[in-house]
Amino acid sequence: MLYVTSGLIFWFFFSNSTSQSVSSIISSSGLLKALNIPAFFFPLSEVLGELFNLFLTFMVFLILMNWAGLVYDFRLLLIIPCALLFSIFIYGLNLLLSSINVFFRDVGIIWGTIQPALFFLTPIAYPEKNIKADYRTFIENNPIYFFIKLGRGIFYYSEAPPLSLWISCTIIAFSMFLIGQFVFNRLKNQFISAI
Amino acid sequence: MSNDTIIKLDGVSVSFWQNNVGVYSIKDLIVKRKSPFKSKTILDDINVEIRKGQSMGIVGRNGSGKSTLLRTIAGVIKPSKGKVTVNGTFAPILAIGAGLELELTGYENISMLLSLYGTLTDNKKTAIERISEFSELKDEVLRMPVKQYSSGMVARLAFSISLANDSDILIIDEVLAVGDQGFQAKCMEKIYDIRSKGKTILFVSHFPDDVLKICDTAILLEGGKLTHYGAAKEICENYRQLF
Repeated sequence: MLYVTSGLIFWFFFSNSTSQSVSSIISSSGLLKALNIPAFFFPLSEVLGELFNLFLTFMVFLILMNWAGLVYDFRLLLIIPCALLFSIFIYGLNLLLSSINVFFRDVGIIWGTIQPALFFLTPIAYPEKNIKADYRTFIENNPIYFFIKLGRGIFYYSEAPPLSLWISCTIIAFSMFLIGQFVFNRLKNQFISAI
Repeated sequence: MSNDTIIKLDGVSVSFWQNNVGVYSIKDLIVKRKSPFKSKTILDDINVEIRKGQSMGIVGRNGSGKSTLLRTIAGVIKPSKGKVTVNGTFAPILAIGAGLELELTGYENISMLLSLYGTLTDNKKTAIERISEFSELKDEVLRMPVKQYSSGMVARLAFSISLANDSDILIIDEVLAVGDQGFQAKCMEKIYDIRSKGKTILFVSHFPDDVLKICDTAILLEGGKLTHYGAAKEICENYRQLF
């Protein structure tokens, strides 16, 4: 039960902020047309809002975990860099999704159908060791898997995750950020005419 | 560039990607197999220089690029060629309803736009009072969400907010057309007042008479090209000859 919840916290952070920010740029068309404000504020604000929510959930979860026998420890503070890395990843993805959605309005709908698939490709509701070796490649090519593993390692197993995991999370987060930034910068001058 | 130039457009062209017929979603892209975009030029090689304290009218047919020109000057749209130089601050361009958030109440809209623009010199509370007083909207009206307003009320609110900013350049984009006669007269008075303070005004209108009242110079846009530039009287004459 707590195993599932420890993964779900991060999953909801991911799914809520991405699905909300898909339409964030088009729904603020009025402001963007009237004032000279950078368009990246809108996807960014969705991430920051959800990040705040995530930390509130952490508080409640920590109390629950204490009942289940978790001992408070300084290692728990590692959750802060973990959440920040995850937010960088999500922000990159948000930039990508929200800017493409300006031109193709069904990105949000498509993203809504991709999400459940991603959910079941990530070991959230089932333990990682149950995965057969044949299917491991699917899981290991799923970027969210690494973040969930990192967060769960800190929270559920209360251990300091290995350095290799930190490094792969950092690489994934920043490459997603760069991809999102690249696409966004290519498209941003065309937003006004399309929204 | 001389010292009193406030806006300078140097060979500015703006082109947009336009959606090719009927391709608005990834579904369309797959089913119709057409290239999704084609480039369309809205403004073509515009060269204008506006001095401080000058009030300039912009006239032209529908779709000749007037609003795009204003947005380019305000920095909302980046030119694809050429350079825009501006030495001053702007009031937000509030065409009818744009920029107001429909779900928020009048008061919330006022404070949101004020803080987004941040060009106020006095404090926010008195600014909000001044705006609500100028708009002549009742307190209970300003407590309602903007989506319940009539179009005239929206125009009143929008115009009052853009006038409240202490900015160097005032951009007016056909807002006057909606208000009732009393409010129009009041706005005109306010515009004269602003002009006499030596501020720059950019005024878009379809009524040559209004342009004549407010502006000393004007430009005429035809199909994205600047065809005439000169005294307001001359340009309005040219504009009338278009029809």
